[in-house]
Amino acid sequence: MQPLRIALAQIAPRLGALEANLERHHELLEEARETHADLVVFPELGLTGYQLQDLAAEVAMRLDDPRLADLAAATRGLSAVISFVEESADHRLFIAAALFEDGELRHVHRKLYLPTYGLFDERRFFAQGDALRAVPSRLGVGIGIGICEDFWHLTVPQLLALDGAQVLVNVSSSPGRDLAAINEVGLGTATSWRTLMRTYAQLTTSFVVFCNRVGVDESISFWGGSEVIAPSGQALFSAPFYDEGLFVVDIALEDIRRERIALPLLRDERPELEVRELGRIIAERAGLAPDSTAEPDAEPGFDLAPLPRPLRVPDRKAGSQ
Amino acid sequence: MTVEDSPVRGEPFDLPPELAIDTDVARRVIAEFIRGQLRQAGFEQTVIGLSGGIDSAVVAYLVAEAIGPERLHAVMMPYRASSPASRADAETVIAALGCSSDVVEITAMVDGYFGSDAAPGAAGAESGTASAIRRGNFAARMRMAVLYDRSVTHSALVVGTGNKTETLIGYTTLFGDSACAFNPIGDLYKSQVRQLAVAVGVPDVIVRKAPTADLWPGQTDEIEGGFSYPELDRLLFWRIDKRRSVEEIVALGFDPAMIERVDRMVAGAEFKRQVPPVAKLGPRTAGVDYLYPRRRPGSARV
Repeated sequence: MQPLRIALAQIAPRLGALEANLERHHELLEEARETHADLVVFPELGLTGYQLQDLAAEVAMRLDDPRLADLAAATRGLSAVISFVEESADHRLFIAAALFEDGELRHVHRKLYLPTYGLFDERRFFAQGDALRAVPSRLGVGIGIGICEDFWHLTVPQLLALDGAQVLVNVSSSPGRDLAAINEVGLGTATSWRTLMRTYAQLTTSFVVFCNRVGVDESISFWGGSEVIAPSGQALFSAPFYDEGLFVVDIALEDIRRERIALPLLRDERPELEVRELGRIIAERAGLAPDSTAEPDAEPGFDLAPLPRPLRVPDRKAGSQ
Repeated sequence: MTVEDSPVRGEPFDLPPELAIDTDVARRVIAEFIRGQLRQAGFEQTVIGLSGGIDSAVVAYLVAEAIGPERLHAVMMPYRASSPASRADAETVIAALGCSSDVVEITAMVDGYFGSDAAPGAAGAESGTASAIRRGNFAARMRMAVLYDRSVTHSALVVGTGNKTETLIGYTTLFGDSACAFNPIGDLYKSQVRQLAVAVGVPDVIVRKAPTADLWPGQTDEIEGGFSYPELDRLLFWRIDKRRSVEEIVALGFDPAMIERVDRMVAGAEFKRQVPPVAKLGPRTAGVDYLYPRRRPGSARV
């Protein structure tokens, strides 16, 4: 079996400069084709830059935008994951990553989890996606796409794997922070991401392809460090921090079968158990069922009972032996 | 972790272990940051006010490392009461980096306002007795005015040199030393600036000497503030970066009176760290609901 060749486009998009970034994507698609890559992965919001704020509406594209059709046309004989601001027909703005294959736009993933804490303010500017689907691919395996924060929620890699993805692709604009010397690689963000990605690869027994951008938007620097991780959890390739580049990695898809036979975690997953228990938890949180972990006197949907507690009449018999 | 934990040895200063950073990563991030700021703004050149102290020396080294010393212009701006040793240390940095420099004495500007033995100043007859704080703030603002003037003559951006410790406790002059186009070290505590200074090769004499605002002879930050930087940095780190409560850091061994005092300084300096509020009247207000990146397509100087 021929190895699958992945090209990681660890680029530094220019903030708000859609045309310049489109041009860069076309150049790199050509370059990847010359290296005989099968799959080219670009980072989150590679076409627009990350820290857009009110610029988001100005660089948004509808799925029928001719510029996306041009990008699609550039993927003949290739698969590519490309990310941009998508505007829906009802004018919601999404952070999107699309799979283009053989000249067609095959699938669009809309970012599900929009971090709005710490240095992030995504919910202010974007709508959250509502769907998560693994998609079949010309590469012969199912592909599952997540965008940055999507992979800080356990459910996303799990659902993608259960839905048939064997290669999980995460595209990111992860700002580097926490330079404490005690961190494994001198960067707290990188340490966390590496831990998570290896864990997902192992638990879903899938390849994980992580493409993170580099460069600077305003105050924040993006650290790169894109990776390809085998279904065993072993990192096959780690791109340098902060360097721009197109990095080519070969993977053997047989490793998926080997790992899944040896370690049949996915076979043993219990989606029906999860759905049952999640159904119960959702009902409890909505106050529609008694909450197993709430105080006995709490109102439905609350886990604490307000003061004052109801007075209890002392049990005379108990103390009069 | 307790305050008895020994600091990292082998440094020419105390570096609390929890504050130690990976200086290779820091240099890489800061170099990209400096280049990115200039590129986005459409500028090639930088100007820095060089005092002879460690903060401006580190920034000069970092800028030279990021874009080359030929794109850095250092300005020394002594007042008549400034220490000659500070000037000598600034000259050492300039010679080591090989950047261009000039000297602008601010004595005439400050004395022209407050007056001197020779003549009363523009601020009136009684301004000769102006407090040290008035004089210090005024001198800092004159230096800002000089740097921004030089930024025009050199077609340059003013690079900030304030550190995180002084920004948090408010040991800065609003529209004075804190004024800049961008700041590469504003998220590093003083102890971390010292660590970075050693890594980039700032001369030992500058790393070792007691930090001073040089507002009057013999002044040092630590005597004036009544704290040591490693101690203050550790307190700020646990309180702010690590979100510890007062009770939790008392348990780490910090003095409750010092915690209270520092908390008050940080809260009292909030206004210095933020853009002044604009009364919200129109449908779309800068900084409130008109939110754009500082630099975007069309905003770079052409």
